[in-house]
Amino acid sequence: MKHETIETNAGWLIFLTLIVISIGGLVEIVPLYFIDDTVETVKVDGKDAVRPYTPLELRGRDIYQREGCYTCHSQMIRPFRDEALRYGHYSLAAESQFDHPFQWGSKRTGPDLARVGKKYSNQWHVQHMKAPRSVVPESIMPNYPWLLTNKLNYKDIENRLRALKMVGVPYSITEAEYEANVDRYGKATAELLDINKATRNLEAQAQSGNYDGNRDDITEMDAMIAYLQVLGTMVDFKKFEDGYFTKFR
Amino acid sequence: MANEAVTTEQYNYDIVRSFTIMTIVWGVLGMLVGVYIASELAWPFMNFDIAAITFGRLRPVHTTLVVFGFGGSALFATSYYVVQRTCQVRLWGTGLAKFTFWGWQLSVGLAAISYMMGYTQAREYAEMVWPIDLLIAVTWVSYLVVFVMTLVNRSQPHIYVANWFFISFILATALLHIFNNMAVPVSMFSLESYSLHAGVQDAMTQWWYGHNAVGFFLTAAFLGMMYYFIPKHVGRPIYSYRLSIIHFWALIFLYMWVGAHHLHWTALPDWTSTLAATFSIMLLLPSWGGMINGIMTLSGAWDRLRSDPVVRFMIVSLSFYGMSTFEGPLMSLKSVNALSHYTDWTVGHVHSGALGWVAMITFGSLYHLIPRLWGTKMYSEKMIFAHFWLATIGIVLYISALWVAGIGQGLMLRAFDEYGNLAYTFIESVSFLHTPYVVRTIGGLFFLTGMIIMAYNVFMTIRKGRVEGAALDAKLAAKLANA
Amino acid sequence: MSSEKTNQTVQTTGHTWDGDLQEFNNPLPNWWLWTFYATVIFAVIYWIFFPAFPIGNSYTKGVMNDITYKNADGVENTTHWNTRSLFMKEMQDAREMQKPYIDKISKASYAQIAKDKDQSAFAYSTAKVLFADNCAPCHQTGGAGVMGLYPNLVDDAWLWGGSYQNIETTIRAGHVGFMPGFKGNLSAVQIDNVAEYVLSLSGEKVNVANAAKGQAIFEGAGGCFACHTKAGTGQIAMGAPNLTDKIWTIVDVQAAPGLAEKKAVVKSVIDKGVSRDMPGWQGRLSDADIKMLTYYVHQLGGGT
Ligand code: HEC
Ligand code: HEC
Ligand code: HEC
Ligand code: HEM
Ligand code: HEM
Ligand SMILES: [Ca+2]
Ligand SMILES: [Ca+2]
Ligand SMILES: [Cu+2]
Repeated sequence: MKHETIETNAGWLIFLTLIVISIGGLVEIVPLYFIDDTVETVKVDGKDAVRPYTPLELRGRDIYQREGCYTCHSQMIRPFRDEALRYGHYSLAAESQFDHPFQWGSKRTGPDLARVGKKYSNQWHVQHMKAPRSVVPESIMPNYPWLLTNKLNYKDIENRLRALKMVGVPYSITEAEYEANVDRYGKATAELLDINKATRNLEAQAQSGNYDGNRDDITEMDAMIAYLQVLGTMVDFKKFEDGYFTKFR
Repeated sequence: MANEAVTTEQYNYDIVRSFTIMTIVWGVLGMLVGVYIASELAWPFMNFDIAAITFGRLRPVHTTLVVFGFGGSALFATSYYVVQRTCQVRLWGTGLAKFTFWGWQLSVGLAAISYMMGYTQAREYAEMVWPIDLLIAVTWVSYLVVFVMTLVNRSQPHIYVANWFFISFILATALLHIFNNMAVPVSMFSLESYSLHAGVQDAMTQWWYGHNAVGFFLTAAFLGMMYYFIPKHVGRPIYSYRLSIIHFWALIFLYMWVGAHHLHWTALPDWTSTLAATFSIMLLLPSWGGMINGIMTLSGAWDRLRSDPVVRFMIVSLSFYGMSTFEGPLMSLKSVNALSHYTDWTVGHVHSGALGWVAMITFGSLYHLIPRLWGTKMYSEKMIFAHFWLATIGIVLYISALWVAGIGQGLMLRAFDEYGNLAYTFIESVSFLHTPYVVRTIGGLFFLTGMIIMAYNVFMTIRKGRVEGAALDAKLAAKLANA
Repeated sequence: MSSEKTNQTVQTTGHTWDGDLQEFNNPLPNWWLWTFYATVIFAVIYWIFFPAFPIGNSYTKGVMNDITYKNADGVENTTHWNTRSLFMKEMQDAREMQKPYIDKISKASYAQIAKDKDQSAFAYSTAKVLFADNCAPCHQTGGAGVMGLYPNLVDDAWLWGGSYQNIETTIRAGHVGFMPGFKGNLSAVQIDNVAEYVLSLSGEKVNVANAAKGQAIFEGAGGCFACHTKAGTGQIAMGAPNLTDKIWTIVDVQAAPGLAEKKAVVKSVIDKGVSRDMPGWQGRLSDADIKMLTYYVHQLGGGT
C-alpha cells in the first residue's frame, strides 16, 4: 500500500493507527494475568501469608491516598543492597496483590514505606504525623494535625469492602465464602475479612490497638497508623529459604 | 482587517480563541501552583497546616493544571485551528466543539478542586475521580467526532502531517483513559472508587497510561503543533516528507511499549522491563525525526533568530525536545534507571520536556496565532523577548538544580564506605536537597514571571484588537454613509 | 546535515495546504537511518540474552547469561539472568567481604571489640548508619533524645541500665516505660507536696515542711518507692529513673525558671503518669547488627 492511500483516507488513517497503538499494551499487559510466576506463591504452613486489609487498615489506606502520601513515599523496595540495608527485603508482587490501586510511587522525597510497619511505636507515629520536625528536625514532610481531630467516618465501610470484593479481593459475605477464607487464611484472619462484621471489627481493632493513644474515639489517626503498622509485616521472610523468591523471575 | 469577517465565517475561530485564552489562564495558575509546591519542598512551613494546600494534595493540582489545563487547552486550540486551515473547511459541529470546550474546562477545574478537597484516585495524571473520568470520556469522544468529521469534510485530497499526529493523539488518549480508569465506585453517590486492577497488573496499566500521557499528550500532539506552526511561521516547506512518514509510524508504534521503564527493578517481571528498555532505545531516533524535520525546516531562517522572538521559542523548544528525548532513553536503561528512579533526576527530565519542549513550543505557536486570531499585532514585541529570556533562564536553573539533586541523591543513597556499609542516611540526602530545591524554586519563579508577562501582553493585544476592530468598523460605516 | 543546496535541488511533494504549506521530499539522513538500525540491532541482541517476550504462560529467559550465586545458607544456585538473582549475587559478594569482620565480632566480647581497632572501626561504621536510619527518628541524630518523649542516650544516666548487657536487652526486646497517673488517687494537695519532695531530692530549694509531708506520701501511701526506691534512686528492673540526680527525661525541670514552674511540670507527670514504648529490633536487625549497635550506643553514653 502506498502512503498516499492512507493520507488521503481518514478511515484508513484511523484504522491503521488504532492497530499500531494497540500492540504494545496487548503484549505487555495481558500476559501479566496469565503467566503463573507473575505473582509469587507465598504460603506459610499451607496458608496464604498476604491477606487483604482489615476494615480499619483499609480506611487508613484511603486516607493515605487522600492526603497524597504517595507523592513523596514509595512502597516498593528494589532488589539492591543499599535498599535491603535501609528498608529490608525487596518487595514482592504478592505483597501488593490486594492494592487497588497499587501504591508503588514514582518519587522518594521521603523514605520508602513498604516495610515501615512495626518499626516505630504508635506514639512516635502520632507525634510524627502531627509535627514531623518535632522528632526529625531535618524533615520536610507536612504536618497532619487534623488526622488526630477528625473522627473517622466508617459508615460506608461495608460498601467499601463490597466494592473491593467486586474487583476480586476475597472479603466474604456468604457462609461459603467465609469457609473458603478459613481454608485460605485460617480462622482468625477469615473473621477479619467478613463483611457482615466489618463495623464491629473496625471498632474492635481501634479499641485494642489504641493507635492514637485515646480509646474514647476513633480518629483518622487510628486508621492511618493501623495501616502504616501493617505495611510489609505480612510476610515473614525467615520462613522462606534465602533466595526462594528468585525462582519467580 | 476587512477580511476578518470573511475568515470568521469560513473558519470557526471562536472556539480557538476560547481555548487560547484558557491555555494562558491555566498556564499562569498551574505554574503558580508549581512554584508553590516547589517552595513547600524547600521550606516546609509553607504547608501552613492547611489540608487543602499541603504538598501531597497540591502536587496533582499542579500536574493536572499544567498538563491538561495548559497543555490540553493549547492542543485543543491549535488542533482546531490547524485542522481547519489545512483542510480548508470550517470546523464540523459548532455546538459540539463548544461542548468540548466547556467539558474540558469543567473537568480540569473540578479535578483541581476535588484534589484539594481530598478526592483522588491516586493514579498519577489520572487522579480524577470516576464522575470526572466519565465527563472527560464524553468530552474526548466529542473531540474525536469533531476532529474526524472535519477531516472527512476536507476540501484537500491529502491529510496534512500535523493532523496525523493530532488524530493519533486523540485515539491513543481515548484508549488509555478508558482502560486506565476502570474502577468500581464505593456507591452510586460516593466520589470514591477502587481500581479494577491491583498490584503488579495495576502498576503496568497505570504506567502504560502514564508514559503515554507523556508520549501522546505531551509529545505526539505537540509535534502536530510543531508541524504546522514552524513551517507556517518561517514560510518554508517541511524538510522531509519521507522522514515524516517513517518517524510518525515508528513513534506511535514504539511509544506504547515503553511504559514499564517507569517500573524497572520493581516487582514487575523482568521480561516486561526488558521490552520497555529496548523499545525506549529504539524510540530515540524516531523521536529525533521530528526534531530534525523541525530544525531543518527552520535552518533557512537563521537570520530571523535575531529579529523574531517566535523563531527563538521554536528553536529552543526543538533543542529541549531533542535533549529530553535523548535523556529519556538513557534513563530507560536499567543500570541508569537504578540510580535515577525515585530521585529528582526524573523530575528534572520531566521539566526539560515540559518547560523546554511543551511550554516553549506552545509559547512560540501562540505568539504566532494570537495576532491572527484577534486581527492585530502583538501589543509588545519587547515583552516577548523578555518572556523568552525569563523562560530560558528559568529552565536552565530548574533542570541543572535537579540534575545535581537527583544524581547527588542517587549517588549518596547507594554509596558504601570502606567497610561495605552505607555511607549516608536517608535524612542526610534530604538535607542535601535543600539548596537545589531553593534554586529550582527560583528557576520556577523566573518561568512563572515570563508566563505572567505573556498573559499581560496577550490581554493588551486582545484589547487592542477590539479597539482597532471597532475603529475599523466605524470607518467603514462612515465610508458607507458618505458614499 | 544536508545543506541549503540539497533543499533547492529536491522537489516538494507537490501538495499545498493553507496557501503556502509545502513539503520537500529530502531523503532520510543517512546518519539517522543507520543509527536507527543500530538501536534495533541492540534491541535484538538484548532480547537474546535477557528475559524478553511472553509466550503462553511463560516467557523467553535469555541464553548464555546465567547467574550463579550462593545464598546465606551456603546453597549454590544457577538461574537465568534476573534482577533477584543479581541481587543474591550482590549480597553474596558483600557478605564475603564483610564476613571476616562479622565472624570476629560475633565471637568477641564487647571489651574485645573495644580494644581491637579494626573491629571497633567496623562496628562503628555499621552502627552509625543503622542508628541514623532506625533510632534517630526517636533518639535524634546525635542520640540526645527529645525531652519528654525519647530519652537521651548521650548522658550517663540510664533508665534500663547502661551495661553492654542491659543495652543489648533493651535494643533486642524493646521496653515499655510505664508509670501510672496519680490524679484521683492522690489529692491535689498531696500531689503538690510529693512534687515538692521530688524536687528536694535533687537539691532544689523547696518548702521543707511541704517536702516532709511529701516524703511520707512518697514512701507510703503514694507508693512511689515501689518503683523509684525509698531513696529515690530508681530501679533499672522497672526502668524507673533516679530522681536524685539533676538529669530529667520526662519533664524539663532544668528549663523551668522558678520553683512554681518546676513544681508545675513535676506535678504534671505525677498527675498523668507516663507510658512510652521503645520498639524491639530482634526481628528486624541481625544479631551482629544489634551487637554493633549496642557497642555504639554504649560508647555514646560512656556507659559502664
Ligand atoms: C513533602 C513530602 C512528604 C509528604 C507529602 C509526606 N511525607 Fe512522610 N516523610 C517525608 C520525609 C522527607 C520523611 C523523612 C523525614 C521524617 O522522618 O520525617 C518522611 C518520613 C515519613 C515516615 C517515617 C519513615 C521512616 O521509615 O522513617 C512515615 C511513616 C511517613 N513519612 C508517613 C507519611 C504519611 C502517612 C504521609 C501522608 C499523610 C506522608 N508521610 C506525607 C516527606 C513527606
Ligand atoms: C519509636 C521510638 C524509638 C525508636 C525508633 C528507638 N527508640 Fe530507643 N527508646 C525509646 C523510648 C520511648 C525509650 C524509653 C523507654 C522508657 O521510657 O523506658 C527508649 C529507650 C532506649 C534505651 C534505654 C535508655 C535508658 O536510659 O536506659 C536505649 C539504649 C535505646 N532506646 C536505644 C535505641 C536504639 C539503639 C534504637 C535503634 C535500633 C532505638 N532505641 C530506637 C524510643 C525509641
Ligand atoms: C509503676 C512504677 C512507678 C511508680 C509507682 C511511680 N513511678 Fe515515677 N516513674 C516510673 C517510670 C518507669 C518513670 C520513667 C518513665 C519513662 O522514662 O518512660 C518514672 C518517671 C518519673 C518522673 C520523671 C523523671 C524524669 O526524669 O523526668 C517523676 C518526677 C516521677 N516518676 C515521680 C514519681 C512519683 C512522685 C511517684 C509517686 C507518686 C511515682 N513516680 C510513682 C515508674 C513509677
Ligand atoms: C513554573 C514552572 C514550574 C514549576 C516551578 C514546577 C514545579 C514542580 C514541582 C515542585 C513538582 C513536584 C516534584 C516532586 O514531586 O518532587 C512538579 C511536578 C511536575 N510538573 Fe511541574 N513545575 C512547573 C511547570 C510545569 C509545566 C509547564 C509542566 C507541563 C507542561 C509541568 C509538569 C509537571 C509534571 C508532569 C510533574 C510530575 C513529575 C513526576 O511525577 O515525576 N510542570 N513540578
Ligand atoms: C524518547 C523519549 C523519552 C523516553 C524514552 C523517556 C523516558 C523516561 C524515563 C525512563 C523516565 C523515568 C521513569 C522513572 O524512573 O520513574 C521518564 C519520566 C518522565 N518523562 Fe520521559 N522520556 C522521554 C521523553 C519525554 C518527553 C519529551 C517528556 C515531555 C514532557 C517526558 C516526560 C516525562 C514525565 C512527565 C516523566 C515522569 C513520570 C512520573 O514519574 O510521574 N519524557 N521518562
Ligand atoms: Ca482513638
Ligand atoms: Ca481517574
Ligand atoms: Cu515514560
